[in-house]
Amino acid sequence: MAHKWGMVVDLDRCTGCEACVVACHAENNIPTAGEDQAARGRAKHWIRVERYWEGDFPNPRVRFQPVLCQQCDEAPCEPVCPTYASYHTPEGLNSQVYNRCIGTRFCANACPYNVRFFNFYNPEWDKPLQLQLNPDVSVRSVGIMEKCTFCVQRIKAAEIQAEAEKRELKDGEFTTACAQSCPSKALIFGDLNDSTSEVARLSSSNRGTKLLGELGTKPNVTYLERGTWDNASHG
Amino acid sequence: MNALYGLYMDAEGAQRAVDSLRSASSELKFRSQQIVVVSGEPHEGYEFTDREATSTPYRWAVLGAVVGGTTGYLLTTLSQKSYPIHTGGMSLTPAWTNGIIVYEMIMLGAILTTLVVLLVGARLPNFKGVISDPEVGKGKILVGVVDPPENAQPELERRLQKAGAWQVKRSVTPQP
Amino acid sequence: MPATAEQIEQDLLRPLFQSSGKYWIAVAIATSLLLAGVAAFGYQLYSGIGVWGLNSPVFWAFDITNFVFWIGISHAGTLISAILRLTNATWRRPVTRCAEAITVFSVLIGAIIPLCHIGRPWLAYWMIPYPSERHIWPNFRSPLAWDFFAISTYLTGSTTFLYLPTIPDFAAVRDVSTGLRKKIYRVLALGWQGTPRQWQRLEVAMHIMAVVIVPVAVSVHTIVSWDFAMTPVPMWHSSIFGPYFVAGAIFSGIAALILAMALLRKFLHLEQYLRPIHFENLGKLLLTMSLLWFYFTFAERLTAWYGNSPPEMAVFWESIRKNFAPLFWTMVVCNFIIPVPILAIKRLRTITGTAIASACVVVGMWLERFLIVVPALEHKFLPYSWGTYRPTWVEDTLMASSFGMMALLYLLFSKFVPMISIWEMKVGLQSHGGVPVVVPAESRPVLEGPQ
Repeated sequence: MAHKWGMVVDLDRCTGCEACVVACHAENNIPTAGEDQAARGRAKHWIRVERYWEGDFPNPRVRFQPVLCQQCDEAPCEPVCPTYASYHTPEGLNSQVYNRCIGTRFCANACPYNVRFFNFYNPEWDKPLQLQLNPDVSVRSVGIMEKCTFCVQRIKAAEIQAEAEKRELKDGEFTTACAQSCPSKALIFGDLNDSTSEVARLSSSNRGTKLLGELGTKPNVTYLERGTWDNASHG
Repeated sequence: MNALYGLYMDAEGAQRAVDSLRSASSELKFRSQQIVVVSGEPHEGYEFTDREATSTPYRWAVLGAVVGGTTGYLLTTLSQKSYPIHTGGMSLTPAWTNGIIVYEMIMLGAILTTLVVLLVGARLPNFKGVISDPEVGKGKILVGVVDPPENAQPELERRLQKAGAWQVKRSVTPQP
Repeated sequence: MPATAEQIEQDLLRPLFQSSGKYWIAVAIATSLLLAGVAAFGYQLYSGIGVWGLNSPVFWAFDITNFVFWIGISHAGTLISAILRLTNATWRRPVTRCAEAITVFSVLIGAIIPLCHIGRPWLAYWMIPYPSERHIWPNFRSPLAWDFFAISTYLTGSTTFLYLPTIPDFAAVRDVSTGLRKKIYRVLALGWQGTPRQWQRLEVAMHIMAVVIVPVAVSVHTIVSWDFAMTPVPMWHSSIFGPYFVAGAIFSGIAALILAMALLRKFLHLEQYLRPIHFENLGKLLLTMSLLWFYFTFAERLTAWYGNSPPEMAVFWESIRKNFAPLFWTMVVCNFIIPVPILAIKRLRTITGTAIASACVVVGMWLERFLIVVPALEHKFLPYSWGTYRPTWVEDTLMASSFGMMALLYLLFSKFVPMISIWEMKVGLQSHGGVPVVVPAESRPVLEGPQ
């Protein structure tokens, strides 16, 4: 059966440390925007950790929510791209084909999750940081949209390896950079079509919800809601 | 080419002149196609104008619309079916959205056909000798005969004057 | 009212042969604005779209606002020329060509803007369906692909619609010119004579074009509105956008036309041709469109407010009460509160009055486009990623240069083409029972200036 890549984000485990954000930058050659550009709202984080405050002093609660491309089955960003740059692969990924993109930015407007980013300038790295770029991932030039790809370079590498060794892919054999770096294992990545995989098991949890699911985008990322922390109950 | 023509102040005079010339065409040995009328604006309601009424351009426009629509259909639906690309779950040939392209191509077909039919029907562009007179721009109507036979010219002049010409003129190799 | 065909030709051809100093000053200003825009665009091409004020999540702002604005202005010519031709409204005669010229030039500007706002403009030709070695076709599901077809069709149609009735006027210029001018106009006139056959064919062609261009115009702006409505963005995803935009386009188009006519009247001395009755009639149309605009705006906002959906309400309050409130209420004042009394009270519906109302409407309609695009993008579904937008000097320059380009094209047009259709005015004389008066040779006025 074909793979269908999905992810589970356990909001109970997320500590807001943002190691996933850093790992994603490192793995996918995402430049830092710099103070000035970030102040103008152009920070590019393919995965970001949203922070919401609930309640007032003396008991404010903070909620962390990592948001990344949901790889929607009915992605609103796909029909609107005039050059098929935003496109659905047979394995359920919403891929961004960089060399088809002419930069109309329509997909970014259509995305309800704001997870698509535009290269406003040509990316630059101060020397010698350009030496750390991942050779498996292209560097996007000015005028192109980009977003989380579920580390498709790692998926492809694992698939090629498995095919060369004439075997099936095993669950947990590889994972995305963000899931790999999460210290509390809040991010779990895998094949939703593999009924034995961790991600398939957790996706059917009764804590599971979809972000903005009411819009009908059918995202492939399941969020597991936090349990309630209440000192009065079992705790 | 040369021409013998009269300038008329109104369409009634022009109509009289045209009738008079037509009735004389066989006896004076020129074809009725050699009769020319030139005016600075259309004069509806007079026979010399209304006889040119035609509905062919409408039919051509409809044909052009059909051709345009078919092209739009081929462009969207047939080309997508012949070279299907993986669309990841989106319908390969969605009727509603392809329909918008077909609609625009229908209109484009009608527009281009109308333009071509006008050019062909009005015999444009036509840079070979056309008859013109500055008085036409001032509101007169020119009615005359192109390349009239030599011996017929005095009679033609008489007929043009009798119809009420403001002026009768001869012109040789007029420039457009 | 001009009494003779000869006088009509005199008056309407005069601007082609004479220019005042003011004309050249206007051309110089318009050209410098255009050149400033070209320089700004060059800078943008070199550095990237980063020189604009766009950010995440506001990926469209001034660029799309101006695009929709100019395509909207283009509905002037269609309404006036086509619909008034079809309904045989004879008062349209002096107005048709000014209107059709506005249409062609603003569609042209509107078509250029999307080519300049994409991230990689040198690849814009990928929108054209051509057999490419990449084995890929444009995505016909995308509203941008529809835009490409609709705007191309509209540009072709409106250019044809402008050119066809100008052929006899090119012939008129040809007949009074000499030298190089005569050669050029000879080509433009395609050897037009004015035989009854040609007149009949032209009138039939104009009739077909008038019938065809109206649905094209309606579809063009509907498709432009679907650039927004086909996304799930709150306050964009509304089925009213199609009719709303078309009504708004006709509204802004009539306003632009009135302004253009007022300026032409003053600077080309066309007082006998563009008379108060024309401004009155157009003023009444503008009044109707203002009321219609108010109805659509009210209906859209009321249903959003009543529905009380949180994402939509966030955008709603931004416009009505919060950051965008000054712009929103300015828009309402400019589009409704000022124009309606001016246009409704007969005493105020003069040339000056309608011109003032029109200027307000043009400003108000630009604001309306801006307020549709930016507040919704600033406040989408996830509050953490809400943003703000401010334009930079590059966007301001590009916007000013679009106005400069329009002004320049229009000024040049008025120099090379009679702004009022000569032959149609002569036809108007006929129906008024005017008889061409014979003017003795000695007192026939001579056209001054280079011949």
